[in-house]
Amino acid sequence: MPDSPDSPDSIHAPTRALRLGIAGPVGTGKSSLIATLCRTLADRLQIGVVTNDIYTDEDAQMLRAAGVLDPARIRAVETGACPHTAIRDDITANAIAVEDLEADFAPLDLVLVESGGDNLTATFSPALVDAQIFVLDVAGGGDVVRKGGPGIARADLLVVNKIDLAEYVEVDHELMVEQGRDARDGRPVLGLSRKRPETVAALADWVQATLVAHRDGTHEPVDPGPMAPHAHTDGTVHSHEHAAHTP
Amino acid sequence: MLLLGDARLPTGGHTQSGGLEPALLAGMAAGDIPAYLTTRLRTTTLVDAATAVVALRTLRAGGAVELVEQAWAARTPSHVVRQASEELGRGYERLLTRLDDLTPRPVRRGEPRPIAVARLAARLDVAATDLARVICHDDVQSVCAAALKLAPLDPVDTVAWALDVAPLVERVVAQVADLRTPADIPAPAAPAAEIWQHAHATAPRRLFRA
Repeated sequence: MPDSPDSPDSIHAPTRALRLGIAGPVGTGKSSLIATLCRTLADRLQIGVVTNDIYTDEDAQMLRAAGVLDPARIRAVETGACPHTAIRDDITANAIAVEDLEADFAPLDLVLVESGGDNLTATFSPALVDAQIFVLDVAGGGDVVRKGGPGIARADLLVVNKIDLAEYVEVDHELMVEQGRDARDGRPVLGLSRKRPETVAALADWVQATLVAHRDGTHEPVDPGPMAPHAHTDGTVHSHEHAAHTP
Repeated sequence: MLLLGDARLPTGGHTQSGGLEPALLAGMAAGDIPAYLTTRLRTTTLVDAATAVVALRTLRAGGAVELVEQAWAARTPSHVVRQASEELGRGYERLLTRLDDLTPRPVRRGEPRPIAVARLAARLDVAATDLARVICHDDVQSVCAAALKLAPLDPVDTVAWALDVAPLVERVVAQVADLRTPADIPAPAAPAAEIWQHAHATAPRRLFRA
């Protein structure tokens, strides 16, 4: 799409935030991760959130009730029971919600887009987000990483969540993280628990580093699934011939 | 025209149920969905099809569509229903922006769906009767597709429903085909459905936007 300095969708405009997608199966802690990020970064960054609830605005309500962000900065988008479609094949409703948030609260640094939760094949289109985190948890079973999928293999960051619960569900979370690294050709993997401050700090650091890279143009949007047109911070929009490429 | 009628057109249609989810939440029986389709075609869908045709003629004549939009709004009393239509309109505008390599304009409020689709029809040289047919087809299929998510059905049943209302669709197309001015747009109302949809903005459990 063409860009001009004064259009709200222009990646040169001061209102163009880093758009960060949070994907992963239902119940792995996507909303909780977003609440944690808001709590940790709200005093440093201007943040907006778009949630894609499946059947309620439960996630949006939970985030509003958590008091981590001005409730007006949290928007719920209904997906007609098609959470996969809403982040991949037809991003219209989400793209409009993101653009509205950026315009209403300009300048935003970061817009978090939470997928409604789907299966292991659901990943964001790079036309909607600049980077994405794929969230698994130890309670989903230690073998999920080995099952693989585009999000596990190629999301910008893989999070293994709720590591504080690992001993109760008899999962070796360090092994899960290790297997994640193997499955991802060295792309980052983070074991996370919101009860372990050092892991929360590592997550916040990753987001801030990605924001810096996005702003200086060194962050390359990577599509975990089939390649679709995406934007670069130098103003170019293009597609890639091949599905797999590394930054 | 086939593109405009394709559910895979990326304009956000999957977020809509054509008022069906609010109707079922309000207690309408799933067995009444075929009758709901008929009622809609005779009322709100007729208004939308007529609005689209008048907007297309206005655009082709180089006129302004504001009066057409006002006529549509006067026939669509719930602001919740108007807002849902305007959100869909933004999806179509997003597509048109891409087709014409236009700079996205800073819209905060879209044009209603029938006018946004009329702009695409003008761009793609779609005839007025085909435009009216697309508006009807899209509305019928929005309800049918949403019905599969909301009621226990065999998907082939909804195809039969769509075919059953095809003669009515053709009557709507004939009724609006020659309309030219905003005052020509008929003004039938479906007050119960409007009230149901109006309540949807605050419904606690929902899959669809409208």
